[in-house]
Amino acid sequence: MKPFIDAKGLVHEYSRRDEEGNVTGINRALDGIDMEVKAGDFIAVLGANGSGKSTFAKHLNALLVPTEGTLYVNGMDTSDQGNNLLIRQAAGMVFQNPDNQIISNVVEEDVGFGPENMGVPTEEIWRRVEESLKNVGMYEYRKESPNQLSGGQKQRIAIAGIMAMKPKCIVLDEPTAMLDPAGRKSVIKTVKELNKKEGITIILITHYMEEVTGADFVYVMSEGQVKMKGTPRQVFARSEELARYRLAIPEVTKIANGLRKKGVNIPKDILYTEELTDILLKTKARGL
Amino acid sequence: MIRDITIGQYYASDSVIHKLDPRVKVVCTFAYIISLFCFNQLSGYIIAAVFFWCIIKLSKVPFKFVIRGIKPILFMLVFTAMLNLFWTSGGNVLVKFGIITITEEGIERTVFMALRLVFLIIGSSIMTLATTPNQLTDAIEKLLKPLNRVKVPVHEVAMMMSIALRFIPILVEETDKIMKAQLARGADFESGNIFRRIKSMAPIIIPLFVSAARRASDLALAMDARCYNGGSGRTKMKPLEYKGRDIAAYLVMAGYIAVIIIAGKYLPF
Repeated sequence: MKPFIDAKGLVHEYSRRDEEGNVTGINRALDGIDMEVKAGDFIAVLGANGSGKSTFAKHLNALLVPTEGTLYVNGMDTSDQGNNLLIRQAAGMVFQNPDNQIISNVVEEDVGFGPENMGVPTEEIWRRVEESLKNVGMYEYRKESPNQLSGGQKQRIAIAGIMAMKPKCIVLDEPTAMLDPAGRKSVIKTVKELNKKEGITIILITHYMEEVTGADFVYVMSEGQVKMKGTPRQVFARSEELARYRLAIPEVTKIANGLRKKGVNIPKDILYTEELTDILLKTKARGL
Repeated sequence: MIRDITIGQYYASDSVIHKLDPRVKVVCTFAYIISLFCFNQLSGYIIAAVFFWCIIKLSKVPFKFVIRGIKPILFMLVFTAMLNLFWTSGGNVLVKFGIITITEEGIERTVFMALRLVFLIIGSSIMTLATTPNQLTDAIEKLLKPLNRVKVPVHEVAMMMSIALRFIPILVEETDKIMKAQLARGADFESGNIFRRIKSMAPIIIPLFVSAARRASDLALAMDARCYNGGSGRTKMKPLEYKGRDIAAYLVMAGYIAVIIIAGKYLPF
């Protein structure tokens, strides 16, 4: 089967210009990215500030086009302008700031914005709006103004707005960076459910380690390159390497590593609190 | 809370007037305003007042909300009344004191002009009270659609209006935040004469503009990502369609205009 996202040697350069518009320098934000994502997968892209992860996200939505290399989304070449609308339908995008991506004064109208743009018939828009609001658990708020909602709720509305366009994939560019812990949790839970129940391919771009633990596959980016890839367990087992890319491992893994250093027999790839408690209880039962 | 402010002055209710198609309300308000200038005798004012009273009752908007619309123009109202009162010549002179002359006709004109202005203002305020800003922009878009043919970007203008409405509370909140941040750093917005105070606004206005520009660019990106492509090929989630009651409203309006015109012609007072 063809991969849903297929990047080969993807390069993006931003050029700095002086006041007359002459190029004074070139910033290589992406430097030869290779990535293949299967449909239905939950992928996480990790990276510190300035690692190029947001630039990569914009490429997936054809908001930016490759300087070199190729990127195919759902079999369509993103550098072909004529594909733009189809690519944006196939791979929807959720941005960081919840306020700056909600267009309408009423929740349901905002969710309907995408389908309206696509020319979906009126009755079908209503059906989709209802369905996607229920999917993110915000159906009761459909008549309200987004201004009255919390950050996490607004972000779920933004996700519903994308869901109403019936995409195969949702790209989330640091969707939780501006949220409080409760909002963060609700957004991540929603995203995971969409992946499991609706089979939507998820590409979650973030620098919060805790959000990555449920992913099928993790890419770690730094300086515009993919530096590490693997399952969350494989990646988090290499904590020294992660630290080099200015990323911290999840708290649980950190505690487990500390305990191991003190001589407790714990495997290197602990991801969940329950796992650690289990192992510790067993160790205790064995009387160590 | 500063973010609870409402824009315009919509009064939520489920009355017949609220349920009317917004286009009906815009057109009828215009017709009503024009009708106010179609008569010049007492009976016309009475008819207009009675008609208007019925609309207010139907809309279920409390009278004090409707009357509130007059407050901002009170000064202008008094001013025009004064002008009319003192500078109308002709008719029986009632008072003459220096350059001030008050005539019978002057009083009549003053009263009628003031009434006309009051009707005009509260007439349009009942429209904004019974229609959400979103519906209003929808109505304007649809009513002005013929202008599309002469290359007026009607859809884009309406879209801009509705986005502006959406961002007003956000920017108000932001202004509040910036003000507090500047106050915390020792900014002084309250002392000094008017020029100094205007000057002291710069540390608020500049960050506000910068942030508004950033929001605009973010929003443009988000709209792009959601396949926004201008007005062509777009469908509507809530299309405006005339229903029976809208036709009835037009008929009632036409009836009212007819009565006003006939009254103006045949009633003696």
